[in-house]
Formats: sequence, structure tokens, C-alpha cells
Amino acid sequence: MNYKAGVCNFCGTGCGHILNVEGGAVNGVFALQGHPVSKGRLCVRGWHMHELLRDSQRIDSPMIKKNGRFEKAGYDEAISLVAKKLGEYKNPSSEIAFLASPRSSNEDGYLLMKLARSVFKTNNISLDSESGHRNSLNVLHRGTGMAGMLGSLEDIKKAEYILVIGTDLTRQNPIIGSEIHMAARAGSKVVTVGSKLTQIAKLSDVHLQLKPGSKKVFLAAVAKSLIEENLHDAEFIQKHTEGFDGFANSLGSLSHNDISSITGLGLEDIKTVARDLATAKTAMVFFTSGISGLDEDTVSYIYNLFVIAGKIGKEGCGVNPVTGICNLQGGYDMGLAPDLLTGFRPISDKSAAKSFSDAWGAGFPDEPGRGVYEMLADKSSGLKALVVVDHDESIVRQAEAIKKLDFVVYVGSFENPFAEYADVVIPSAAYVEYDGTYTSTDRRVQLSRKKTEPAEGVMPAWRIFTGIAEKASARWSYSSPADVMAEIAKLTPSYSGISYDRFSGVGGIQWPCDGRRPEGTRYFRVDDAASKIKLAGVTGSFKTMRPSGEYPWLLMVGKANHFWHQNNLMKRTFIPKREYNATLLLYPKGYVEISGDDAKKLQVRDRWPVNIVSQYGSMKVAVRVSDEVRSETAFVPYFIQDMITEFLLAHNELIIEQGEDAIIPIRIEKV
Amino acid sequence: MFLIKKSEVLKLAEELSKTYAVYGPVVEKESNQTFFVRPDSIGDIDLDAPIPSQPPKHTVFPQIERIFHYSYDKGAKRAEIIADFKPEPKALFGLRSCDLNGVQCLDRFFIGQEFTDDVYLEHRKKTFIVTNTCVKPFKQCFCVCTDSGPSAREGYDLNMTDLGDEYLVEAGSDRGKALAEKMGLKKAGSGHLEAKKAVVDGSISRFESIATDNKAWISRVMNRITTGFIKGEIWEYIGNQCFECGACTFVCPSCSCFNIEDVNRKDSSTDRLRSWDSCSFEGYTRMAGDHNPRKPVEDRRNKRFFCKLSYSQSKKYLRPGCVGCGRCQWVCPGDIGLPNVVTYIRREITSR
Ligand code: SF4
Ligand code: SF4
Ligand code: SF4
Repeated sequence: MNYKAGVCNFCGTGCGHILNVEGGAVNGVFALQGHPVSKGRLCVRGWHMHELLRDSQRIDSPMIKKNGRFEKAGYDEAISLVAKKLGEYKNPSSEIAFLASPRSSNEDGYLLMKLARSVFKTNNISLDSESGHRNSLNVLHRGTGMAGMLGSLEDIKKAEYILVIGTDLTRQNPIIGSEIHMAARAGSKVVTVGSKLTQIAKLSDVHLQLKPGSKKVFLAAVAKSLIEENLHDAEFIQKHTEGFDGFANSLGSLSHNDISSITGLGLEDIKTVARDLATAKTAMVFFTSGISGLDEDTVSYIYNLFVIAGKIGKEGCGVNPVTGICNLQGGYDMGLAPDLLTGFRPISDKSAAKSFSDAWGAGFPDEPGRGVYEMLADKSSGLKALVVVDHDESIVRQAEAIKKLDFVVYVGSFENPFAEYADVVIPSAAYVEYDGTYTSTDRRVQLSRKKTEPAEGVMPAWRIFTGIAEKASARWSYSSPADVMAEIAKLTPSYSGISYDRFSGVGGIQWPCDGRRPEGTRYFRVDDAASKIKLAGVTGSFKTMRPSGEYPWLLMVGKANHFWHQNNLMKRTFIPKREYNATLLLYPKGYVEISGDDAKKLQVRDRWPVNIVSQYGSMKVAVRVSDEVRSETAFVPYFIQDMITEFLLAHNELIIEQGEDAIIPIRIEKV
Repeated sequence: MFLIKKSEVLKLAEELSKTYAVYGPVVEKESNQTFFVRPDSIGDIDLDAPIPSQPPKHTVFPQIERIFHYSYDKGAKRAEIIADFKPEPKALFGLRSCDLNGVQCLDRFFIGQEFTDDVYLEHRKKTFIVTNTCVKPFKQCFCVCTDSGPSAREGYDLNMTDLGDEYLVEAGSDRGKALAEKMGLKKAGSGHLEAKKAVVDGSISRFESIATDNKAWISRVMNRITTGFIKGEIWEYIGNQCFECGACTFVCPSCSCFNIEDVNRKDSSTDRLRSWDSCSFEGYTRMAGDHNPRKPVEDRRNKRFFCKLSYSQSKKYLRPGCVGCGRCQWVCPGDIGLPNVVTYIRREITSR
């Protein structure tokens, strides 16, 4: 049988697919009907996985840079060099850092974490540019003890009321978008909240098109209305939660006038949301959580709103962050963060830290480390050596800082512009070439089995990390990824019931999976919480960007329809590449979306150039007339590198500070 | 007309495997999903398995395929093109009637019009087809509405119908007949033909009421689509639900859209690949500079249904483009598979 079941490895939805393996190559992909989440569907990316997997631009041999030029080397030589060089640093806590990949399997991620900590004695390990999900996990973990989606993708149809906040799920995680669409067709009420009329907005029952940057105010307003109308679930709050009064008081500063002027919505709209949310028996909220996820304060308001409405802890309910990359959730589960061990336990948890050093037979620093990006940005960080695993291209933006480092290692499968900056390049096998587990956004740990052989001699990452550790005289004795999972399970309460022999059929196991819940856990149950559910602390600050006379437009910066992660993987496919570039062909230098009315006022037409001027800089781009934005709001997608990078760099602080909802007041001038 | 004992029916496939690569319905164990593939052993072929999840079109039109490769010798200033595709002869064993109709649509597209596609022809001229009558329909089926089942009428070498303890084997070609004779199959009589008719009638009567009901509707909808009497809003409503995934095309036994891609290899030669494409994609239908920002998705969607359900298109295929397999219904993230679209249009017609 040449069709072999597996897991789509693009986004965090974790759809099931089945690959056509012929003559040692992946020659096709098909949808897996029996998968509990995707049920026989795939999105445009998933349907072209085979195009990526056939890509021949693979790194086929380790390389070592000698006198500025790469020379081929054997694994042994390359691995020994890495072990030796990294072993020479006297202050590893400031001198060495590891950049892990949210695409790596759990086993690969775990071993990289162990390598950094136990062998090279540094906690400087972080996931590539994915802080958005960390914000979500922080809020959920503090509140409930569960650092992951509280609901389940399998249960979307059980939610009577579904709130979707922000980005277009039909594009970013299409099969989740599809489940929401199907739920709507089966009678659930779907309400979308965002500043653009996206496809998911068009498919919803109600779209609340608020002013850019006002989501937090909107959420606070709904919470306020819930309490004012006495619709909050007082019994649930009293019995299961703490912190209600503090949160309720913090809403006091929000006046009804502010609410409508900041959000642009009528009070009735907000009251309707509050009433519907309260009266529905079950409700879920979805928001994207990745490169450009929401800031922690906004997530806190989402979470608090659902807690006081009594919409967590039961079937069909949940606060559900959606990850953009296949194993972003697993990356945090595996402790790929400067301050975390596996299972989201902080390094400051002495007994947890001790269980690791005992099991590893090696200690590691007890102070949390620093994130790689933070270190690269800080000229006085003292960073000297960097190990990077299979990353997206965003790190190329840090090229200047990376060039100054003393020793850079790159471990990855595909040829990649970043490899140029490395001193040692080590090829790793692609994900279908060895076993590994991946944890999708609803905490679903799925085993992806080996389907093809790697190119002659190319090793999977777990072997490479093991090799480096052993050269550095650590004794690691894994003979397969299953062994690594056994160790993960031993050290991680939420994974303790997971082992390779538990994976049969399709669909995986949702953590926490332990002695008490051997079948895994579909959704967070209120009786499962170790202590009372805590409402999240909020800032109570509702400052927002406002347009002014000189800069009357609000410019939103975000993902374009077909944008998906710097196109790093997509550009290795045929059809998705073509589709993702379709907009680029029409607007080769990028575009700004404005409404038809604004175009009339400015006397410009589609594809005419305009100047965008802000307090900090200006740029010239083409106009794209769109029905997705309202008048006096404009939108630029941030993926088109040359066009906007410079302009946006001038606003970097503003953008980093604001997260997904980065808003810049501008004016637009006809050229 | 011949007969073969049920317990011996796979002997036909065994025999074919001496000359052909035999493909048939096989249930994949881990997923419990049916595929139309080369089995590891002929015994894995399951003639009672549900309709294969993927249509058998990949046997004559693979998901991705090298159609030639070329290289350029700089020194000699010479380019060389090598079209070395040599598909092996294939026997499609246990094909469902709808899927045979799908292959016939592909035939008309690739080799039945003014232009002949050599690669397809190469695949196709070597295929031996054994169809299998559906004695009961599957949940999603509506071939009775699209005139493509439950039993094949033409285009097969052999057609099998399960009569209980034995299969009736009808020969549709000389080589089909030759094979049956070579295997010394027992001759069937007119009584067996009667028995087959009863089986087919029984099957038809078991189609869900929606399918038989739809029979009249599909022809009315075809009429509407052909004459363009469908309101823009309906197409817009349908178009808004399209996620542009391409699945409906990939699973459709009669869809023939393809893409051509040149891929450079490490040895500095170039492969020209052909792969499945879809009219649902913006990049597929776009013409340079011809950009319509207003209704692109709707237009693309209505193109698909025009292709499947209009008389003008039927003239090309000599039958409706839709063969009633129902696959597009279960793979569609937007829930706008063809049967649903027929329902929407039907609703519009009745609401007037
Ligand atoms: S939604 Fe995500 S996991 Fe599913 S097919 Fe698309 S890219 Fe793959
Ligand atoms: S249009 Fe849909 S139902 Fe008709 S033949 Fe194609 S896949 Fe089957
Ligand atoms: S399967 Fe559905 S969503 Fe996908 S392209 Fe076809 S109609 Fe659109």
C-alpha cells in the first residue's frame, strides 16, 4: 500500500493527511477521512505538501566554513567541531544561545533543550519569533493551570456561540475556519470582531467591524455590560473562581462614551454580544496566537470575559488560542523558552528543576536565560555563539548582529539564505524521514511516522543533537525517538501517559494524559483544576491610537490574505507559491488597502501610487481598493519585504509594543 | 456474457497482473480508508469496499508527473529534450461506474478534441478496464441523477455484477472477451441478465430519496446554469463560502485542470512536471493585467459548476461533467459540494 497516514505539518491545526509514497519519494497527498478534526479536508497548503517534500533544494552534506568558504565535511567532523567550540566558552549563560524551531518535533525540541541546558549550561533558548502564543499561554496557565487551548477543535460544533477575534481563520488555519463555518451552518451563532471584513467575517452571523486598535476596549465593554445587566454567571464565579471583584472594579474607568468613540460600535451591539454570550449554554472564543498574536493584556480580557460568563471548564466551551505553526504548542510544552522546563513549569520551580538535573545526571543554571532575539538586539549581551535550527527567514533581519558573532551553527533540511551566516551547517532529515510527535493547537499530540528514507547519510535532528552531546562527553543513549518520548513522559506530568505504543489509528492524544486521564483530555474541566480558577490581572488602561487632524487615517499592519510565514516553505511549492504570489504580481511593490470612498476622495484608482506619511516616515505604494476596510482606515500587509520593511522598521517600537494590532496614524497623499 | 464464482473473482485480477500493473480498491488499515491503488498482493483488493476516497484518475493522470526533461549544453550550444515517459500498461480492476464515466470525460478532454495529449494517450492506450456494478449505493452517491451508474454501460473491457454467489461478467471489448475465454469462464444465459437487471433496479431503489428526488432537479439546474438564469447573489453566496483549497477539483473524477512547472535539478538539467491544478485558484484563471477585484471568487466558483452542469460543456464530454460520485461534498471546507449547490439553486427556483 503506497498511501501512508500522517499529519500535515504546516500549521497548528494538525490535519490528518495521507501521503502517496512511490519509489521512495512522496508523489502525492490526500485527505484523511477518519481524522477527528479535519475529517477529510485539507487547505490549499495541505493539498500541496508533496510539492514541498519533493523539493530538491536540500542540504545534502555537512559544511564547515574555512577561510570564508564552505567546504564539505563529514558528520563526525562537523559534530565534533560544534561540541568542541561550544565547550570552550567560559560564560555560557551570556555567551551561548539556541534558537529552536516551532516546526521541530517534540523529541527534537526536547533534546535541543536538554543539549543547551545540561551539556552547554545555558538557559538561553527560545523559539523563533513566536511570542504571541507565549502571551496566551501565560494568561491561561496562571488562570487555570493549563497552558494550552481550553477547548477542543473536535467540539466546535458543540458551541452554541462562537466569537472569533482578529485575523482571518479561513486563511490562517482554514480547517478551523471550516469547522466554525460548519458550526454556523448547523445553527451556532458566529460573531466576528475585527477591523477588516475578512472571509470569516463574511461567513459569520454578525461582524462587528470596530476601529483599528480597539479590541481590548470592546472586550472590556462586553464584560462591563455583562456585569451591569447582571448576566455574569454568579454561581460559577462564586464557586470556582477568584479575583472577580478586582476585575469588575477595573472596568469602572470605562465610560459609555469612550466605548462608542473608541470602538466605533453602538452600545446596543455590545449589549447584544453580552446577552448572547450569557444566554448561550456553551461558547468558545478563537484568536490567532503566533508571530503576531495579541498582547497579554488583550488576551487577559478575552479570558476574563469567558470566565465571568461561565464559559470555560465545560464541554463545548473554551478560550482557544490558535497556533500558526505546526508544533508551536509542542515547542512550549518542551520547555523551549529561557524560563521554562517541559510542561510549562518555570525553571524557578526548584523541585521540578531538580527532577531534571537528577534525571539528566547534570545540572544547569537556575537563573532563567534570555531569548535569542533579545540578545541579538542588545549590543552588550556578550553573546558569542548561536545554534539555529530550521527557522523562518525573519532572523535574516538580524543579519548584522549575527555576522558579528564568533561561532554560528545551522541545523536544517532545506537550503536557506541563513546558512550563509553559519560557520558550520549540518543537514537534518525532513519530517517524513523519521518518527516524531507534533502537538497541534488543541494540545493534540500526534505521531508522524517515517515514510521515506533521508538522502544518503543525512541524519534526523535527534541523532545530531545526541551526537553533539556525546562528543561533549555526555552519555545519552537514545536509539529512537520513542526513547526520547519515554524520557519526556517521565519528566512531564501532562505527557506522562504518552508513549509511542499508545499511538494507533489516527488523531493522536490530547494532553494532559496521565494516570488519571489515560485517554487524554479533550477540554479543560473545572473539577480538574488544582485550585480555584483565577481571573487574570489586567492593566485597566484603555489608551488607543487615535487619528489626528494631521494624520487622519489609521493604518493597520498585518497579514495579507495568502501570506503565510514569510513564504519560506510556500516558495518551495508550485501552486501555493503561485497563489501566494498572485497579489504580488498585481502589486509588485506592495499595496495599501483603502475603501472605495476614500479612493474617490483622494481621486485615485486601483494600482495608482500614493504616499503614506506618518510622524516617523513615509513610503510610496500602490492603492488597492477594497471592500474589506472602512473609510479612514487603511491596511498594509507586512510580508512584502522590500516594500514596507524600511517604513515599518521606522515604526518598529510601535509595532512590537502593539502586537497584532499595530496601528499607525497616517495621511495619504496622491502622487 | 460469462460467470465467475465469487470466491474466484480475484483470479481475473491475477491473470491481468501477468500483463498489467493491476490497480484496485484497497482499504488502508490504519485509516480504514479506501484507495484505488496497486495492492501489495492481489488478495488485498476488496470489491465490496466503499467507493475509493480518491478517484482512480491518478492512474491515467497522476497528481504529479514528469512529462519530459531537458538540459542545455553551454559549450556545444545545444539543448536536448528527452520525453522518456513510458507508463506501464495498467488494469483498473473493480472500477465503479461513476469513475469510468470520469475517465471517459478525461478522454474527451485530453484526446477527444482537436488536440491530442501524448502523455495522457500513452497512459490511456494501455489501460484495461474492469468495472464493478454498485449493488447498493454509498451514502454520498447520486449517479442515478447524472446518468452514470450504478452499472457501467460502455467503455469497459469487462463489467462485473455481483449476483450473490457469482459475478456476471460482461465483455465490452474483444480483448475483454478474449480474457474471459482464455480463463475458461462459464457462459451466462439470459436469466443471468434478468438477475442483473433486478440487482441494478434494487440498487437504484436504494438511493436516498434526495438522490432520486434530485434527478429532476439536476436537469432543471443544468437548464438554469446553461441559460444563465441564476441570480448573481446566489453565486456570490456560494463564492463567499469557497476556501479556495482546490479539493473539489482534486477529488473529481472528471476534472482535468493541470499546471506545468519546470524544476531545476542539481545536475543542472530541468524536469518539466505536470501536476493537478484547480479552477478555484486565482492564479489559475488570471490573465495578465486583467484584474477584476470585485467578484473573483464567485466567478471562479460558477465556472466549476458551469463545467460540471451545463449543456455546452456536456456537448464536449458527450455527457454531464458531473458523474455523481459525491466526493466534492465531503472534502469541501466551505460545504459547497455540487449536491449542495444544486440544492441552493433549487431553493432559488422554488422561491420565485
Ligand atoms: S489547516 Fe493547517 S494543518 Fe490543515 S491542511 Fe491546512 S496547513 Fe495543513
Ligand atoms: S462534481 Fe463532485 S459529485 Fe460530481 S463528479 Fe465531480 S466530485 Fe463527483
Ligand atoms: S472544495 Fe470547496 S472550498 Fe475547496 S475549492 Fe472547492 S468549492 Fe472551494
